[in-house]
Amino acid sequence: MTSPATAPALAEPSTSARRSGGARYVLGKVGGAVVSLFVVMVLGFFLFRVLPGDPIRLLTRNTSLGAAQVAELRHRYGLDLPLPAQFLDYMSKLLHGDMGDSLKFQQPVADLILQRLWPTVLLVGVATLLSILLGLWQGTRAGWRRGSGFDRFSTGFALTLWSAPTFWLGMILLALGGSLFPTQGILDPDTPASFLPQVADVLHHLVLPCLTLVAVLYAQYLLVMRSSLLEEMNADYLTTARAKGLRDDLVRSRHAVPNALLPTVTLIFIQLGFVVGGAVTVETVYSWPGLGLLLYQAITDHDGPLLQGLLLVLAGAVLVMNLIGDLLLRVIDPRVRAA
Amino acid sequence: MTASISWQRRRAAAGRVWAQFSADRSGLTGLAILGVIVLLALLAPLISDSSALDVTKATGGLLKPPGGGFLLGTDENGRSVLQLLLWGSRISLLVGLTATLLSVGVGTVVGVLMAHFGGWVQAVLMRVTDFFLVLPSLVLAAVLSTVLSPGIGSIILAIGATAWPTTARLVRSQTLAVESRPYIERSWALGAGHLHVIGKHVLPAVLPLVFANTTLNVANSIITESTLSFLGVGDPNQPSWGQMLHNALQSGAVTAQAWWYLLPPGVAIGVVVLAFMMCGRALEAVLNPRLRER
Amino acid sequence: MRIRGIGIGLIAAGIAVLSAPIAAQAQDTPQPKTLRVAVTGNIATMNPFMAFHLGDTEIGRVMYAFLTSYSRDDFSPAPGLADKWQVSDDKLTWTYHIRSGAKWSDDQPITARDVAWTFNKIMTDKTAATANGNFVANFDTVTATDDSTVVIKTKTPQATMLALDVPIVPEHVWSKVTDIGKYDNLQYPVVGSGPFTLTNFTQGQSITLKANPDYYGDKPAYDQLQFRHYDNADAAVQGLKNGDVDVVSGLTPTQYTALQSTPNITTVKARQGRQNDLLINYQAQTNDHQPVGDANPVLKDPKVRQAIAQSVDVKTLVDKAYGGLAEPGAGFVPAVYEQWHWTPSGTQEQKFDLAAAGKLLDEAGYAKGADGVRADKQGKPINLRLVVDSGIPAQVAAANFIKGWLTQVGLGVTLQALSSDAVTDAGSTGKYDLELNGWTGNPDPDALLSIQTCGVLPDADGNGNTENFMCDPQIDQLYKAQLSEMDKAKRIQDVKDLQARLYSLDSSVVIAYPNSLEAYRSDRWASFGLQPSQGGSITHQNGYYGYLLAKPADAASSGGGSNTTLIVVIVVVVVVLLGGGAFLLSRRRKAGADERE
Repeated sequence: MTSPATAPALAEPSTSARRSGGARYVLGKVGGAVVSLFVVMVLGFFLFRVLPGDPIRLLTRNTSLGAAQVAELRHRYGLDLPLPAQFLDYMSKLLHGDMGDSLKFQQPVADLILQRLWPTVLLVGVATLLSILLGLWQGTRAGWRRGSGFDRFSTGFALTLWSAPTFWLGMILLALGGSLFPTQGILDPDTPASFLPQVADVLHHLVLPCLTLVAVLYAQYLLVMRSSLLEEMNADYLTTARAKGLRDDLVRSRHAVPNALLPTVTLIFIQLGFVVGGAVTVETVYSWPGLGLLLYQAITDHDGPLLQGLLLVLAGAVLVMNLIGDLLLRVIDPRVRAA
Repeated sequence: MTASISWQRRRAAAGRVWAQFSADRSGLTGLAILGVIVLLALLAPLISDSSALDVTKATGGLLKPPGGGFLLGTDENGRSVLQLLLWGSRISLLVGLTATLLSVGVGTVVGVLMAHFGGWVQAVLMRVTDFFLVLPSLVLAAVLSTVLSPGIGSIILAIGATAWPTTARLVRSQTLAVESRPYIERSWALGAGHLHVIGKHVLPAVLPLVFANTTLNVANSIITESTLSFLGVGDPNQPSWGQMLHNALQSGAVTAQAWWYLLPPGVAIGVVVLAFMMCGRALEAVLNPRLRER
Repeated sequence: MRIRGIGIGLIAAGIAVLSAPIAAQAQDTPQPKTLRVAVTGNIATMNPFMAFHLGDTEIGRVMYAFLTSYSRDDFSPAPGLADKWQVSDDKLTWTYHIRSGAKWSDDQPITARDVAWTFNKIMTDKTAATANGNFVANFDTVTATDDSTVVIKTKTPQATMLALDVPIVPEHVWSKVTDIGKYDNLQYPVVGSGPFTLTNFTQGQSITLKANPDYYGDKPAYDQLQFRHYDNADAAVQGLKNGDVDVVSGLTPTQYTALQSTPNITTVKARQGRQNDLLINYQAQTNDHQPVGDANPVLKDPKVRQAIAQSVDVKTLVDKAYGGLAEPGAGFVPAVYEQWHWTPSGTQEQKFDLAAAGKLLDEAGYAKGADGVRADKQGKPINLRLVVDSGIPAQVAAANFIKGWLTQVGLGVTLQALSSDAVTDAGSTGKYDLELNGWTGNPDPDALLSIQTCGVLPDADGNGNTENFMCDPQIDQLYKAQLSEMDKAKRIQDVKDLQARLYSLDSSVVIAYPNSLEAYRSDRWASFGLQPSQGGSITHQNGYYGYLLAKPADAASSGGGSNTTLIVVIVVVVVVLLGGGAFLLSRRRKAGADERE
């Protein structure tokens, strides 16, 4: 998780943007992302190899499997090959779009990730949307009336929530709201198969995990919005606008806020990529069948192929989001383009 | 001679910073809270006996609510939650501070190198920084702490090794800003070497902000430590706050509604993190003119 | 204005959506009666050839019948698909008679050919042998002489022929499968022969099975069995309180105690086939007897091991570390398997006696230093690493107690609480001095005893199922004798002698047989088929009686609970939305007032 105060530092556009032309800039960014992804592919492989303990031995501990069966398992997953051969095998499969099979679940990693993708997208998407709305709304009000009771209260409240460990907040919410809302999964298997009940049940399951995530996330948007609004507030054009006799509300909503939104947009995209990693604890507390939970299981089971696949997908998500953030900023902020 | 002048100037600057900082009420509050907690953590061996952590010598009933000599009740082994909290503060603060020192140190070096030398050094370091930035740091830390031999050192290393890229980015942009100022060019013209420019000009200008960043980083590190403990990759021998929560959750304190066991470590983490945040924000507001509220 | 309009539209849609379930519920036909069980481990696969994790095999048990089963009362062999069996005089040929009239869930008859096909598949296909290969390792041939007779010839006499935990699969389905390793076995309804038929498996969420009307045995008194996946034990308990699930297993002592006073919930403290022991590493070696690991050489001295054994007070451990929810340890085979279980006689017993342990060490020449720590023969202070899984609270607590006692007799102990994989790794590479470990046994003691034989010592890569690198000629000989002994009384004696020998070597100290702690909704379920029938468990049985014989409570509606909460939620949501709306409206009015000024 990025601290709300350091987040703006991340959001600063890189200097290379200022030196080069449009097409070259885009190509450079995409190229950089591809290189980063490749690095993740390679390091992901070795990260898994340096984990202590033989994954197959861990997988089969306390079972009645004999030595012959264990050796057969090791052979099936190619773990009996020398390291360079394993690496070549992994890379060539990956280039053909095959992420291999999960050791624990005994099915293709790509299938598993696809299964778990949409619950995560739903949880993270809804939570991000809500925290953006909440954060921007409160940040705008807090910034506009700096030092007011609202400012101090909302900023303090948001910071307090941000300071609590996510999993702890989740457990407390579970203890408090567990009798009103489901504590497990995304969908009750007994829900009638028609559309509306299913949607309602998913929403019902979404409440607690989403609330936890929002509580932790929205402080960052609040703070960024607040501080960028503060920066805009004394700008000349606002004085002009006021001098024209525009109502305070209108000065805020037509002039100050749109400009102050710019740094926030970049932050939103940068954050989006990270939220999935941050959802690990929430998904674990509420048994939400998403990527974060799968990741946690991959680490505890030393499920190398699964871990590699997940790292790749998560890093890919961050890269794509960063790319979108960078490009979007260029499109909407004329200052970045001109410079 | 010149050294003493610059020292004087720096002392005066520090005085101004303090004056501005102390005008910020939330910053002061944060500092006061931190002072009290650090004092308690340092004095723990005097206030309490470390045998309070030994389950074989536990005297209380199992998971009993506050009362009967236990101000915050007992844990699932009959130890005093208050004592655990006190001893836990030492570990949590230690991890938070050392991990931050590590990450800020690495981040500063990498950031300055990137901005100062540019060219291929920047290209390579930027790639590395990006790599660490795009991987979910929590996951990386979890994997790292499993890889390294178990212990508090591994946790510190794992947190430090994954938290530095933000500092590096920050330092890089600050260094770029500093180095574009005329007096640096004058310094180059006068024949100054890299060491001189970095040591005498860049670092003094960048460090104050790094310091503000550090306080914020401590907050992050403490939260990360507790999260790692929750995921079961912490050091179970060290009774940190995160480990207390881990034990509470493992033993089913939520079901038992043992609020006296669940709330204190979480609240303690929250309070310390918040205090660091308040200090850090106040410092940043003072040191970073861009953020200074007009 | 426009945004506000959208907002109101969204609110209206939200209310409509959230109130829909009530309408839907109202029109519903009566809900099928369902037993919902919370599972906390990961269920990986429904393919019985590949399923070797505890959770997976439990599902396999309710989906597929085995050749024989274990009785509910005392785990003795009972009929399964085979209703009669006999063994030849040379003890090498077993003939099983398959019950007549049994049918697969797709109405095809179950014949001896299905049995023979399943075993032959495991014997010939390396992949199919993944989960159950060791059951057939000693088989020579398996043939179906007619539709109701299976003949199994073994290479050497094998006493465990009535404990073959191999799910028998339908040949007419599985013979069409080309790659067993890749087959997910999720063609619903999955053709099976057990009391339940798999109708849905959603990875990481739930498993639903319906009662199999073609099952040859008892019919369940309800319609559906459902397993729901929880990653968090407290969330599972919360689910039990809410009524989302009916049965929760694997409770911690804290949860168990808390649930005892909860209305409508009954707790079950069950004996189970699990033991925890303290390993003393003194002969870590590979299968070609090369020493491995880094154990403290002082442990090679039997006197030191005996002193350690005498410094462990299993009764205190059970009371304090296990919260009284365990039985004190003695022999290697868990106490629940009463006929095989061994307890030391008065002369054999190494009683807890710190003074005696200290004296033993004094006499053996390990003098205490100034700091109270004894030195080894080289004069170095003795320090032993005690490795324990940090994820098992009872074992961590036990380790702390053991550390306390050993310190008192002058043996230094460093506690190493590690993640479970690090513990496994330390265990299989011999990098520990002392280690707390746990094993789950089967009703037939063979598998549990086998981990104490030379045959399972690890190879150079660490493949091997050994518990503590035990390799002792006398134990190996007793193990072989019991495996080929067809006379039950004699076999029991062999098994007990083996445990006595193990006990005298002080290779490991069995500290406890932990109870399995479960809880269920007593307002919905009246009783379950426990195994063993006295003091047994509902889940994780060596059978399926817990689920099969579950009796619903009379008046209860098993679908309840969640509906009322849903209504409460809807009320809350509506109130919040209305409140928010009112707030927005009041602000608009104020804004309007401003404008007029």
